[in-house]
Amino acid sequence: MKKQLRINPILKKEMVVGSRSMKMSWAIMGVSAILTAIVVFTLLISQLTAAAGAIYDYSNLVVLFPVLGIAECVMLSLMVPVITSGSISGEREKQTLDIMLTTPISPFSIVLGKLMSAMMIVMMYMIASVPIMAIAFVLGGLSWWNLIGLFIILIYLGIYVGSVGIFCSSVVKKSIAATILTIVIGLAIIIGTSLIYSVTMSIATMYYMTSGTMKPDYYLGPVFVFLFNPYSPIFDFMVRAMSDSSIYDMVSNAQLHPLVALMYRFWIPISMGINLLISFGFLKLAAARVGNVKTKKVKKTNNKVNNQAATAAVPETKSSDNQGN
Amino acid sequence: MLDINHLTKRYGKFLAVNDLNLHIDKGEIFGFVGPNGAGKTTTMKIVCGLLDATAGSVTVDGVDALKCSKDIKRKVGYVPDFFGVYDNLKTMEYMEFFGSMYGMSKEDVDEVADGLLELVNLSDKKDVFVDTLSRGMKQRLCVARALIHNPDLLVLDEPNSGLDPRARFEMKEVLKNLGSMGKTIIISSHILPELSEMCTSIGIMDKGHLVTAGHVDEIMNNSGGASKLHIQIVGMDNRDDIRTFMAEQPNVTKVNFMEDEVLVSFNGGEMEAANLLKNIIGRGIAVSGFYKEKENLESLFLEITGGSN
Repeated sequence: MKKQLRINPILKKEMVVGSRSMKMSWAIMGVSAILTAIVVFTLLISQLTAAAGAIYDYSNLVVLFPVLGIAECVMLSLMVPVITSGSISGEREKQTLDIMLTTPISPFSIVLGKLMSAMMIVMMYMIASVPIMAIAFVLGGLSWWNLIGLFIILIYLGIYVGSVGIFCSSVVKKSIAATILTIVIGLAIIIGTSLIYSVTMSIATMYYMTSGTMKPDYYLGPVFVFLFNPYSPIFDFMVRAMSDSSIYDMVSNAQLHPLVALMYRFWIPISMGINLLISFGFLKLAAARVGNVKTKKVKKTNNKVNNQAATAAVPETKSSDNQGN
Repeated sequence: MLDINHLTKRYGKFLAVNDLNLHIDKGEIFGFVGPNGAGKTTTMKIVCGLLDATAGSVTVDGVDALKCSKDIKRKVGYVPDFFGVYDNLKTMEYMEFFGSMYGMSKEDVDEVADGLLELVNLSDKKDVFVDTLSRGMKQRLCVARALIHNPDLLVLDEPNSGLDPRARFEMKEVLKNLGSMGKTIIISSHILPELSEMCTSIGIMDKGHLVTAGHVDEIMNNSGGASKLHIQIVGMDNRDDIRTFMAEQPNVTKVNFMEDEVLVSFNGGEMEAANLLKNIIGRGIAVSGFYKEKENLESLFLEITGGSN
């Protein structure tokens, strides 16, 4: 018997529906236009500088890499919440979630299918940006490994933001509220980790200054809160790509415990691993939210009155309004 | 086929379903009747594995709906009171999508969906976008969708809600066909005359209680309300004698003379009606026609649930 590859049904359906919608095409075109504008602006500045008598050094265009890379990450962080915010709430609005839940498909498969469909759009977005990114590589002299690395980073970021977006979509009813909530959670993580770092470092510094017994070790403890910041591996990646150094090299002069040094050396995979685990947690929470309709009160959403059947229909009881079905 | 024992569902302090006991045999078309808030949808959702119960048990063909929710989903097809369709998806793609949810391959779905779309009269709409279908067509498509995995039990929650008379008629025909194919169907509706035409048995729910359940005729006969007997008599010259005779008969509460028949209010069952006919003929009255008017389900419903409040 011929064995068939089973594609997640939600992913398959979303791909069919998405391919017929112009929204995604416009979004990808918009993102590509912004990236193109950044490149054109940078080239224009370089040319103007050269015209003014300065040496035209194409290798300076390597700066396009972090600029475009960060621009892509920022746009991805804003675009993915928009894509995923309607993933569960939209199904609720269309009242198709209940029907899906009457099938044997698990709530986790539903949220996974939604994430995969968002990732397909992220991939299309990445492919569309290749020609623009190539300018930075051809003119700036970066290696293809940097481009592949950037794509891995973008996929990782897409998974992280997508998972948060799907979780928010499962929590709130309206898609727009889910988008805002996703961005707020993202900002809270960025600001939160920075705040925790600053506060703990200040306390540690004050302690060491007042006691005067030991030199503060800034590279131990509080810094690792940034492992939970999804953007810290992106920062490390950019540093590595641009300067052939890393967070590890920045702190390598410090007397570090070998284990701590190892953490710095492998900051990118460790932080990405932690954040992907957090993403998995968000997906699990979303699946739990999707599946917990079992405890919710049945609410008649369809109050269509059968006007045509008015003569034959039974009058509704007065007490029915607040009783659900 | 379906056994519900002491089913109770509570939402906080609100008791949606209260100690419900129900048995539905294979091949029955069971009509769930009750005002809004009676607990019909809650019961149906529990049967489909969409809701947990507070107490009691539900088994479909021996499978515990409360413990084996994954197995029960393969045994039950559910049609909610809303369409639940996607924009930008064609009829056949919609069927394929739900078929794949049951682990069916495209070939399997194509094979089954052809027959189902024909059954619901949509075989000419295979390549049409779902959102362009009329309400009635969408609802029939939902029935076809619910049958894609060939379930043992089909649960329909107010499938005729919001449909025009023609669409309701078409839906009724689809359900009748399914009934004749031996499918076990539970259907809730507010349109009671249609239910009485389609269903082999009914259950009337009110405030979480199952007030009565059984075969439609049984319920009508046991309802205790007076039914009407239409008796056509050849030559009604001596009306006073006939009236006096009729009034003396057991279970007769009222006698009215119409243009060509006598209309008798009668509170007996089938056997009592047969005895009455025997007595009339025994008296020498020439009877040319005799039939018992079926009690209206709507009036019975209002009577049982205490009127329209």
